[in-house]
Amino acid sequence: MNLARLVTLGSLGLAALLIFLLAWKPAPATGKRHSSTPLPSLLVYCAAALKPAVEKAAHEFEAETGRRVQIQFGGSGTLLSNLRIAKQGDLFIAADDFYLQAARSNQLVAETIPLARMSPVLAVAKGNPKQIRNLEDLERGDVRLALPNPETAAIGRLARERLMAQGRWQSLSSRAVALKPTVNDLANDLKLGSADAAIVWDATVRQYPELEAVPGEFLGSVESEISASVLAFSLQPAEALQLARFLGSPQRGVPHFERFGFRGVEGDAWAVRPEIVVYSGGVNRLAIEETLRRFEQREGVSISRVYNGCGLLTAQIRAGQKPDAYVACDVSFLQPVAGQFHAGLELAETRMVIAVKPGNPMGLKTLSDLARPGLKLGLAHEEQSALGALSLRVLREQHLADAVASNVVVRTPTADLLINQLRAGALDAALVYEANAKPAAAHMDFFVVDWPSAFAIQPVAVGRHTAYPRLMARLVQALASPESQDRFVAQGFKWRRTPKP
Amino acid sequence: MKRASTNTAPLSSADRRFYAALAVLGGSYGVMVAALLLADLAYTTPGHLWTSLQSSEIRYAIRLSLLSCTLTTLMSLWVAIPLGYLLARRRFPGSVLVDLLVDIPMVLPPLVIGLSLLILFQTAPGRMIERVLPVTYAVPGVILAQFMVSCAFAVRTMRTTFEQMNPRAEQVALTLGCGRAEAFWRVALPAAKRGVLAAATLAWARSLGEFGPILVFAGATRFKTEVLSTTVFLELSVGNLEAAIAVSLLMVMAAVIALLLLRRWGGEPNLGQAGPA
Repeated sequence: MNLARLVTLGSLGLAALLIFLLAWKPAPATGKRHSSTPLPSLLVYCAAALKPAVEKAAHEFEAETGRRVQIQFGGSGTLLSNLRIAKQGDLFIAADDFYLQAARSNQLVAETIPLARMSPVLAVAKGNPKQIRNLEDLERGDVRLALPNPETAAIGRLARERLMAQGRWQSLSSRAVALKPTVNDLANDLKLGSADAAIVWDATVRQYPELEAVPGEFLGSVESEISASVLAFSLQPAEALQLARFLGSPQRGVPHFERFGFRGVEGDAWAVRPEIVVYSGGVNRLAIEETLRRFEQREGVSISRVYNGCGLLTAQIRAGQKPDAYVACDVSFLQPVAGQFHAGLELAETRMVIAVKPGNPMGLKTLSDLARPGLKLGLAHEEQSALGALSLRVLREQHLADAVASNVVVRTPTADLLINQLRAGALDAALVYEANAKPAAAHMDFFVVDWPSAFAIQPVAVGRHTAYPRLMARLVQALASPESQDRFVAQGFKWRRTPKP
Repeated sequence: MKRASTNTAPLSSADRRFYAALAVLGGSYGVMVAALLLADLAYTTPGHLWTSLQSSEIRYAIRLSLLSCTLTTLMSLWVAIPLGYLLARRRFPGSVLVDLLVDIPMVLPPLVIGLSLLILFQTAPGRMIERVLPVTYAVPGVILAQFMVSCAFAVRTMRTTFEQMNPRAEQVALTLGCGRAEAFWRVALPAAKRGVLAAATLAWARSLGEFGPILVFAGATRFKTEVLSTTVFLELSVGNLEAAIAVSLLMVMAAVIALLLLRRWGGEPNLGQAGPA
């Protein structure tokens, strides 16, 4: 065998050795040892400019939850192209709104949780050697100005917009020594002295001890938001959301962003698995239950549901209960406790119906028929439930309240009980909502009460005291979604919400 | 390539002027490179270098860089030697096309190579491979991204090497009873040793500096796919110029040591003497 062959075979052996060395993992350098069963890790695409804060926070997340986080750093734009093609990963943390909008318009992201904020400033080297005090100074012959590129950076677009409004963009951009793709390129220019002034984020200035911001709001008071978005194709959205909640929580991630110069956001309290309480009128149960169940699953949260007559629910709230959200049977039951909730969102409405035995043996069709002697009528309790109050009001408006009163054999807190009693044969008729009657249509007949005020509107409202305002906003969004609409309509409700949020 | 350049005989004044002109013209580039390194050195301190070396992240990146570059170099040689020989010695149907194809990675912007790899591995066959061996955002992705670029340079070098070799020696071997294969093993390949070393050097150095395709295709995940060039990018993007420079200087040092070793092992005494040994 000659030398050439020997070397060739040797190179094969060397390749094998190299592959072995690549695969060989020496003791973990991170110092983590508590690996029992490895959980699937999360893949995060993170703008390189946020590396210090996100890395620290992710490390804490790993320690607290035992779940590994793999962070893919890069320019926001590069990352965006990557995830568009690769279609894998769980979370996208862009350097600013610009890329998030792009990701949104490509339908790449689902939920978004804000993490921090920043504003544009005019930055110079420490000590302001060129004595730059305002935008006029940027036009001086001895000032080398560097600007962010409006095509590649949110701050560039913002700067162009604001400078155009002041009629300065043309002259400044033609005077600029460079248009740089990222804000860090600009900061590096200032640090190295290859530019005298640049427009960067206030957070950038705080990250670079060599820079300072020229005092004054030259570009107006505008903000950009850094946020974590769950990727639409994430296979573990609950875990991705958990990490996003961690990063955006004032107790966990936000302080890291503040330490690195960003302004924090007022986020949700941190909990590994948040527990929330939803009060809901019984009539809404079937329409919202599936939405709540899916929300729990996707978000990794626990929802305690309290279904009851709305009079009882409202009374409980007035007595000091603080549900995180309240899906009322009618807007009239939200009003008494309005102070405890943010403005409600009207989801659906349902009409009042007369429910009767199958085949309607007694021929009951209108409210006045209910005054027939000897009839066994069931009504909802007028104080305990929205339906009861509504029934009484409509009967009064038709001057039938007294005539019907002697036929009322039962007043229940919810319509479900009336339906059950009707089905059991204990009642001849009951006043319920269409949404109560429709699911039981196989066992009874019902007739819509033809009267202008004989319907109820179901709003959802978020409690002012909730520790999870952002989570609750997402729940409201879920309840207002087209899927939720289908569920409401299938249960006999009429969808009320206009498409605009 | 002849050793005559080391001639130290007394020079005539005309020759002296000629050499001086050469030195000025060519030397300016060398001076420029040295100036760049000096500027970098002035920007950093031994402390920064030491801090960088102590970071476990950077140590991992060094290890991955050295291993992946060496493996990439070997793979490039395995492809480049046969392909270079084939292209230099034989015209075959489609040889022009092959010749053209292997040049494409040299002209494509590196980022596009990364992007193309990413797209390739999202196709049905690509996904099948991923199911067996994860490539995207994994270490094999780093090697593949390096290989796609550095192999093109190695092929070009090997082709030129074989083309410049006089085929007579092989023809003589054939007349003496060798087959084609034997002539290749016994004559062509040993004679191409310097070309192989040049190709290896080029491939290794290219891989070490490779950055765009790796960032796009393999990502820059710490303790996973972060190599030295991506470390530099990451440090730059958070404004840590000192660390970026320190890591770059580490790369220069690693490259110098590796290239000197390669040349010494390749038995080039004139270059070996230039080394610190």
